[in-house]
Amino acid sequence: MTDPDVGSRGRGTSPGSALPRPERAEIDGLLRAVARGDDASFARLYDLLSPRVFGLARRVLRDPAQAEEMAQEVLVEVWRTANRFDPERGSGLSWVLTIAHRRTVDRVRSEQSSTDRMQKVAAASAQIPYDEVADQVGSRLERQQVRRCLDDLTELQREAITMAYYGGHTYREVSTLLDIALPTVKTRMRDGLIRLRDCLSIEVTR
Amino acid sequence: MTSPDVHALGGAYAIDAVDDLERASFDRHLAECEACTIEVAEYREAASRLAEGAWSVPPPRMREQVLARAAATPQLPAPGSRRGGASPVRRWRRLAAAAAVVGVLGIGSAATTYVVQEQRVSAERTAVAAAQQRADRIQAVLAAPDAALRAGDLSGGGRVTVVVSDTEDAGVVVLADAPPPGPDRAYQLWVVDDSRPISVGLLPAGQAQATELIQGVRGRAAFAVSLEPAGGSPQPSTTPLVAIPFA
Repeated sequence: MTDPDVGSRGRGTSPGSALPRPERAEIDGLLRAVARGDDASFARLYDLLSPRVFGLARRVLRDPAQAEEMAQEVLVEVWRTANRFDPERGSGLSWVLTIAHRRTVDRVRSEQSSTDRMQKVAAASAQIPYDEVADQVGSRLERQQVRRCLDDLTELQREAITMAYYGGHTYREVSTLLDIALPTVKTRMRDGLIRLRDCLSIEVTR
Repeated sequence: MTSPDVHALGGAYAIDAVDDLERASFDRHLAECEACTIEVAEYREAASRLAEGAWSVPPPRMREQVLARAAATPQLPAPGSRRGGASPVRRWRRLAAAAAVVGVLGIGSAATTYVVQEQRVSAERTAVAAAQQRADRIQAVLAAPDAALRAGDLSGGGRVTVVVSDTEDAGVVVLADAPPPGPDRAYQLWVVDDSRPISVGLLPAGQAQATELIQGVRGRAAFAVSLEPAGGSPQPSTTPLVAIPFA
């Protein structure tokens, strides 16, 4: 888990993601075509997006059947609202996954009382969530890179972000679960995302 | 509702780690803060890479289902366009495509399939439209210029937050962290007028968490929550767990 060249924390020391991502660019183009009602582009977009949307829903909902239902809903929503995608505000993939994450988290929160969820997570918190993330990180270069960047976060930043992103928890819940003051959790989430952003060399320009 | 530490919320907001009210408040903040908008976009971009770690191939049947549903779903018009949805020609083409896909799956004759498909689509549209309408109303209340936020703790535990707008004559109530009332009890919501309580909402029995839209708040003196038998009461039968004055 420790590459010699990522030992030091700080901007610029980690490998950036200057990787050309043809899929990312293709998704942007497909979304614009879908916005014009192009069914063939939507079919292609489905192939690129469905494992990501389904995978995210499955991770958060922890139930393949519900995840399938959720992924369907999100993908149809992508078709319906493709016109709202604004390339100046980020990549198409990020736009889609933002919709997917938001809806999935809303589903989790509406279905279970927060107490239930917190008890469940508290009981299982020893093994999740970071190990799970790490386990599933496969051979793809980008995943390796995300993993390196996650390693570069402090433990608290990493926990706060993964509990919110994969567990669907609010920062208040994270604060209770980790027994850390609310403002600290807010700050850790933000600092962690900043570090992740810098490590992945993400820049949104307008 | 803008507070000094609103910026710090950007990270939590970007990964949906905020509740509905905080989200609405931060949405408003974003509308007037260009730098924050870019910052949040970058956080989301970073978070979206986390999703790569969850990559999982869905069941193959999902493909046909999604393509068929999309074909039967009208798209939003481009922002600023006056065109109301897809052109009739395109809509017919899509319905034909939907019918064709379902036909391929081999359920009944083409004609039956088409009718069933149409009914399902129409039922879905009605449900979606109702949910959309409610969401729009909630958004309107939260975005109203005179929206005022008040909060209070329930005496039995939990917290209720109310955003009311006189111009919208409506409010949004968020009940959180309250103890589950048991299967035969329910939380009921009231507005109080000259000390006369008027029921404005009733949660399903046993439910302890909710985001509710309430109507008819204009000129009322206070908001209250009480614990009632399942199905609710015409007048509160117990001491309110919390009462929040509007003034």
